[in-house]
Amino acid sequence: MTDHLEANLRALAARDPARAARVAAAAKVGTLAAAVSGEPTLVADGVLLHSRQDPRAEAARWAATQCAGAADPKATAVVFGFGLGYHVEALAARWPARVVIVEPDDGLLRAAFAARDLTALLGRVELAPAAIDRADIAGWGAAVLMRHAPSLLREGTALRGLQERAAGLTALRELRLRVLVVSPLGGGSHPIAGYCARALAELGHTVRLLDLAPFEGGMGAAAQFTPRRRAQRLVEEAYVRFLAAGVLAAVDAFDPDLVLALAQAPLDAAALAEVGRRGAVRAFWFVEDHRLFPYWRDVIGGYDYFCTIQETFLAEAAALTAGRVCYLPCAADPGIHRPLELTPAERETFGAPVAFVGAGYRNRRLSYVPLLDLGLRIWGTQWEGAGQLLSALQRDGARISTEDAVRIFNATSVNLNLHSSTWIDGVDPRGDFVNPRTFELAAAGAFQLVDRRALLPALLVPDVEVATFAAAGELRERVRYYLAHPDERAAIAAAGRGRVLAEHTYRHRMETLLATVCAHEYERLRSRPRPATAADVARLEAGTPLGRLLGQLPPATPFTLDGLARELLERKGDLSDPEAVLLFLHQFDELYVREARA
Amino acid sequence: MTHPERILIVNLTRFGDLLQTSPTIVGLKAQHPAAHVTVLVERNFADVCRGIPAIDRVWEIDLDRLGRLLLGAEGGLRQAYHEIEELVAALRAERFDLALNYSSSRMSAVLLGLIGVEPTRGWTMTADGYRLIAGRWSRLFSAACLNRRQAPFNLVDYYKRAAGVTGGPQRLLYDVAPAARAAARERLAGSGVAAETPLVAFQLGASRAVRRWPTASWVALGRELHARLGARLLLCGGGGDREVGAEVAAALGPLAIDCTGRTSIAELGALLERAHVLVTPDTGPMHMAVAVGTPVVALFFGPALPFDTGPYAADHVCLHVEVECAPCDHNVTCLEPFCRQVLAPAAVAEAVVARRANDWAALAAAADRWPALAWYRTGFDAEGLADVTLLGTRSPRRGETLRRAYRAFWKAVMDGAPERAASPALPEAGAALRGMLGLTAEAVRQARAVERLAAAGGDLKALEAAARTLEQLDARLFRFGAMHEPAGLLLQLFRFDKESIEGEDVAALARVTRELHERLAADAHRLAALLDPPTVRTGAVAREGEDHASLS
Repeated sequence: MTDHLEANLRALAARDPARAARVAAAAKVGTLAAAVSGEPTLVADGVLLHSRQDPRAEAARWAATQCAGAADPKATAVVFGFGLGYHVEALAARWPARVVIVEPDDGLLRAAFAARDLTALLGRVELAPAAIDRADIAGWGAAVLMRHAPSLLREGTALRGLQERAAGLTALRELRLRVLVVSPLGGGSHPIAGYCARALAELGHTVRLLDLAPFEGGMGAAAQFTPRRRAQRLVEEAYVRFLAAGVLAAVDAFDPDLVLALAQAPLDAAALAEVGRRGAVRAFWFVEDHRLFPYWRDVIGGYDYFCTIQETFLAEAAALTAGRVCYLPCAADPGIHRPLELTPAERETFGAPVAFVGAGYRNRRLSYVPLLDLGLRIWGTQWEGAGQLLSALQRDGARISTEDAVRIFNATSVNLNLHSSTWIDGVDPRGDFVNPRTFELAAAGAFQLVDRRALLPALLVPDVEVATFAAAGELRERVRYYLAHPDERAAIAAAGRGRVLAEHTYRHRMETLLATVCAHEYERLRSRPRPATAADVARLEAGTPLGRLLGQLPPATPFTLDGLARELLERKGDLSDPEAVLLFLHQFDELYVREARA
Repeated sequence: MTHPERILIVNLTRFGDLLQTSPTIVGLKAQHPAAHVTVLVERNFADVCRGIPAIDRVWEIDLDRLGRLLLGAEGGLRQAYHEIEELVAALRAERFDLALNYSSSRMSAVLLGLIGVEPTRGWTMTADGYRLIAGRWSRLFSAACLNRRQAPFNLVDYYKRAAGVTGGPQRLLYDVAPAARAAARERLAGSGVAAETPLVAFQLGASRAVRRWPTASWVALGRELHARLGARLLLCGGGGDREVGAEVAAALGPLAIDCTGRTSIAELGALLERAHVLVTPDTGPMHMAVAVGTPVVALFFGPALPFDTGPYAADHVCLHVEVECAPCDHNVTCLEPFCRQVLAPAAVAEAVVARRANDWAALAAAADRWPALAWYRTGFDAEGLADVTLLGTRSPRRGETLRRAYRAFWKAVMDGAPERAASPALPEAGAALRGMLGLTAEAVRQARAVERLAAAGGDLKALEAAARTLEQLDARLFRFGAMHEPAGLLLQLFRFDKESIEGEDVAALARVTRELHERLAADAHRLAALLDPPTVRTGAVAREGEDHASLS
């Protein structure tokens, strides 16, 4: 057995030495057993990965089925799950093009490498990285995804997630979705609706942001009708129904594939049912603490996808819905949260040795008092009655615009970021999710001190990519330390920014959300009536000037005059004939046809 | 353009506009007898072209079909694309050596850019997709459309000048086909109209509601004309006018012959030819009557002005409702079109009776009896340009004096005609013009600085900064034009002139830009002096900067 391992590792090292080293270092998983045919088979996590009778014969049948079902034999075959490699061998023998294996479990690979001579196979197939990203999937080109079902039955491995993500991202390459983003009336999740809409548009989808901010005053004014709470609630519920009717009208006008509602968006169960009847997928991003805002229990059943920033709460949420529940942490928008070149005057206005931007929750009031003599400045609302801290409060506690907040982040040496709590005086020991400010500060290249959160280490490495503190009592010392060590501050801020740009932008989040949706709804979304894409028509027009032009556009560009015009306007230089003909038709459409169509 | 052999004229969509192209086409053919003239026209209006002399080929484009394709099921856009691609290829294969685009739309500009005829006059497109208005007469026309109170010339004269036609017929032209003439004769005979029966045609409809005269007014006019002339009334209009036709016909009983929505274009020409007078708002049939030689009493209200789209021929009558708000902005829907009520049926009846009798003294007397209207007689001035002359003894209103002064200025600028000072002087308008002289002088200095930097080469940053400053000065100038009507047309033309500068050579572009700025400065001086000659100057100077403090 040992002979196989070393030879197999050498074969893998020839292509991917880092992965070979990780496999060599991993502990074997599973239990080997001999099949009736004499070949080894493997049981891992209680799942039998290959036949106990004849693994090779089973693999040959699997490969034949896969090849028969594949429409494009020139495409890359991507196999999810390696097992002991029988099925991959059978496929590689029949498949004429590239074969890529996705198997994130190094321990499983080690077991397989030890059990069988796979050197020839490892020279023929490629092993995908343990974490697949968009670039890997793009690198596959046209791809046929093949599932090794027993491998996907194993619990606790990353394979299922990778398969879902790859299926979703592959599907997304062919789909340009129409997404209606519904904002709340106001509050902390309101700007996130805008960030999501921007990110979705950047990803090439057609987006309409339904910004409900103009209606915020109406909700606040409900109390003017009556001092009685119960009566006020009835008025507020009627107002929500009114707003939901507006959202439905927007759905009818825009005909979205996906309605993405942000936390507090005014959609009640009846409206959500109507949205579903119109064929749109309904997703909700609950960017709030479920312990603090229990309303999620009333709405979760109305959504097909419920995304939470609290991974720890997935099971509880899943129990209350037939839809899917997924973890989607907060993020930053690097177009807005970015390093700024500030003038000396701006530094004077917005800068401080230590500062905080946000609302005056009780735990912040208590924790920040010891920092007053360190040059503390406080920006934001709800600091009324904050005692001595009022001497540090800027602009009399006025609301701070996003633009000014980014200036403050940039001008401040140590930005404080204590997650709010209404029941703990300092750092919430049960605090799990990571707030948007964490990502926004990091994206701005600003240095921050954030309280430790259960979900933080998986997102930003504590004290490497973000400086942390565990208790309010140590805050003063940490601030003083970092004020005295500007180089450390700069290094941590730079590392944090790098990580956020690489993994934690709204673009990443929206891609993850859409990949999840597409992995499960691909057929449904694809079957919705939608205009042909530039890629569809480019195929029909192969070799013609129109075909050549369409081939240069993003493949999912809708083949409509508006869709094409949007892309063509982005192009520079002289117009080609096909561009000018389309421009002519677009002008004609605007002059004579648009009104008839409306 | 010395001797074009293959000429393309594009005038896609309007019946009246096509007829207004006829003197240009005939004039072109007279100047270039060997030239072959193709007119590209929307299919619905192709019949108009078949009656215009001197057209060698009518090339139809079916925009209805194109619209159906774009509205239709999947695949329609592809089909539409290929049809336009084929159209462009076919037009290119004709190897035209002169194109005249008389459709002022971005759509037609793109089409002309695609066909790529050299030279092209009118709206076309640069290689990188920007609108270009080629030819200064075309630019002046486009600028005048945005500054209509100063409209110096009749549309037909712009068309002619843009094409380089110096003489040409002083009327519109349309040959009535013998078959249509016979059909008209038969129709009128069937309605009991004898050859000697006075026949007055009413064009009831118009392209937009704001251009239509009220039904009750038509009925009152019909009754009065029958009473005074014993006239029968021929009701004309398109398919959309059948309802109003039926209403007027019902009210007039056997006096009316309702032809609304029942005639081809050729038969309409024949019927109008047979009529003794046509009463009409500013419409396509008005131009048809002019083209077949029937006297017109044209009603101008709402957005219509007799100066720019009035009958192009001598001895027609225009009744213009001179209200402060005229002409309506094309983008405005008037909630109280009182101008139509000012136009009394009794006044129109007097005009028809006098014109039928060719009695211009009676027309002048009638003009004095109805002073709320401006009564005009159409004709041509000493330079051969279409003009209207005020009838009666009333002095021209200020607007008319202003328009005449502008007309004299533009004739001097565009044709080198002798300059004529406004009489009486117009001190306010002159002051407005003088108010921009400081700014034009500053812009000239800046344009010269840009030219020096461009010629020297090297310091790109300085050149960019200087060009940016010039752009800012231009923006102030355009704003001045938007705020001060007397400067509006001059600055609009300057804007189009600047937009039409083409080329890659920075030094050459800077030189042309400087020349344009110098011309603007000189023209502004010249116009200010003409409007308010120095010897009689009385007005205050509106200084740019003071007037716009709130905008800057």
